[in-house]
Amino acid sequence: MDGLDVETYLVCGSEREGKDLALRLGHELNLGEVDIMFCEFDGYGVRVRLRKYIHRPGDPYHWLKGPGERDQLA
Amino acid sequence: MKKKRILCVPLDPVHDVGIKIIRNALATRGFDTELLSPDLPMEEIVRRAAAGSYDDILVSRTLGYGVAELLGRLVDLLDASGVRDRSRVILGGKAITSELAAELGFDRGFDEHSHVEDIVAFIEGKSSRNHVAVVEKKKPDITAGYSYGVHDRRIETALDEIVEKLLRWSEGKSSPGVQRARLRQEMFSDASGSRKEALLDEYLSLSDGVIVDAFRRNVMPKGVRNVSQGELQALREMLKERSAFRPVTLRHSGDRPLIFKFLGSGCPVMDLVHAKVCERWGVDGFLLINPSWEARYEGLLEGALTHQNDGTVTSAENIRLVRELLEPSTLLTVRAHRGLNTPETVVLASHGGADMTKIDLVYGSLGAGTDPARLAVDGVEAIRLAARFKMPFDIPGNDELSGVPAWKTLAGLLINVHLGTRLGARPILKPLFCYGPHIVINGLMRQTFVDYNAAKIRALRAIVDCPIWTGEPIAFMTQTEDRVQSAAATSFHAALGTALKVDAMTVASTDEAYSRGPICIASRIDSLQGIHEAARFMGMAGFAPTAAADSMTADMHAKIADVLDQVKSAPDLPAAITAGLLGDREDGAYPGTFGKGTVG
Repeated sequence: MDGLDVETYLVCGSEREGKDLALRLGHELNLGEVDIMFCEFDGYGVRVRLRKYIHRPGDPYHWLKGPGERDQLA
Repeated sequence: MKKKRILCVPLDPVHDVGIKIIRNALATRGFDTELLSPDLPMEEIVRRAAAGSYDDILVSRTLGYGVAELLGRLVDLLDASGVRDRSRVILGGKAITSELAAELGFDRGFDEHSHVEDIVAFIEGKSSRNHVAVVEKKKPDITAGYSYGVHDRRIETALDEIVEKLLRWSEGKSSPGVQRARLRQEMFSDASGSRKEALLDEYLSLSDGVIVDAFRRNVMPKGVRNVSQGELQALREMLKERSAFRPVTLRHSGDRPLIFKFLGSGCPVMDLVHAKVCERWGVDGFLLINPSWEARYEGLLEGALTHQNDGTVTSAENIRLVRELLEPSTLLTVRAHRGLNTPETVVLASHGGADMTKIDLVYGSLGAGTDPARLAVDGVEAIRLAARFKMPFDIPGNDELSGVPAWKTLAGLLINVHLGTRLGARPILKPLFCYGPHIVINGLMRQTFVDYNAAKIRALRAIVDCPIWTGEPIAFMTQTEDRVQSAAATSFHAALGTALKVDAMTVASTDEAYSRGPICIASRIDSLQGIHEAARFMGMAGFAPTAAADSMTADMHAKIADVLDQVKSAPDLPAAITAGLLGDREDGAYPGTFGKGTVG
């Protein structure tokens, strides 16, 4: 409907490295620009939550379109 | 000396709580501060900043919509008005990251996790202090201070007689499991090469073919392989690189309950990295859980071993590896309570440096498949070994998960406690906090989950002075595959355990209800985060069970006494288990058959 979250734990040596890895993960998943919503480093890695907004409020909503239009978009 | 002048700007339609807190902290430290109201036009903010000759301008932003554009415009206006030439501009708030602040050209950025002290320290030109809640962790003894005295005379009489009969019955009896445990002890001692070979021959003559094949032909059970030296070396190096230990606690106050988690991914390497991460998030100890197939074989494997299935192989090397790499303050217990290797597992656990073990003569037969007579012989030996090695043992009440009523399960736990005490060991009661089948069918938790769980603890406390460790894990059968629901269910039960002042708890990950794959580390952290929040929320406050909890406690106590009287009347404990006195077929409990006919 609106967003896609990726939650995971990344093994790394610092919060900075964890954030870089998280952003790289977003790109490798072809998500484009992602937000890092939560990132906590514990010494071994980061517990991290990435978000890609699919539909922001006010966007043309894919899920409001008819079945034919949806197929075209897909 | 001239006071530093600070302008505090909530660049937000309404949110200014955070910056007010910072402003108050700065004022207390002697700064000359001025706080603007929220929702001022940007031009007005810049005009005020330019007019006041401030040393530092603090800008806070909570709402994240279009934040980069908004702040970029603010920086441009401050530059154009000359403010940046004489004032530092510092950015903070929920919508801010330090990266965003740097990218936009602010002098410093503080995100939502920053502490007020960090910001004050920056303004004062000092380095920020470490805010992690550091605690010095010492290895605790769960059993310290308990007398094991039985408060109820009728129950004490029954337990005395049950234990006496069991010890008489087991006298002079042995099993392949008991013999292997004795051989293992000798093998671990300084026997010479030829003597060791002779001991191994004897050991394998008492083991199943699958174990013999592993020792003699290096053919492992399906899916099992040796962990390579390269893997072990890389693991040690990885953990060493990150060895600066930052102990934290999941408790808000006091030193109980201790929080335990299972380890048993199948692979000791994965177990260890999970354990090390969980230590950082406040876990106090771990239970090493073995594969279910191990219970069916006579004999245990040797070496650092991994396999791609549930449960980590019991070997002295695996136990030693885990123990070696855990923090010294972290407790480790090894499951020995079921199957054909109970006393031998206690020997391996001790040799591998584990702190505790897990033995249950009743559940191991009724819920875990071992012949009652075999487990009685093996269990008595295992408890004697635990006493000799000074290893406390816990007694899981998992019979309830089959459908056995709580009072029968608790009666079984009390038999184990009394036997353990008699043999000089330090047992630990482990009643479940669960939504078990008997509870569901009879609607015992229809109103609340609090009363019946509280009644179990109260009834046990009224009977015996013994440590209580709720498990296994807490909230069994209340968690679903939804992560938030699962973390919430675990956290509520953890809060209840804390309020009831139990000594320890085993807690699940948010993957508890997911059975189609291994547990992930993120799920372990999620439940620990939940428990931490629950502890913070509850603090020293308690739960108030309803009046129903009083009648449930009295009913539970009376029924435990009745069950123990019935067991007392049976010829011996294995006969009582076989007769269904501690759980029958209607309850969903079946006396096990592994090892039947092997007691001699």
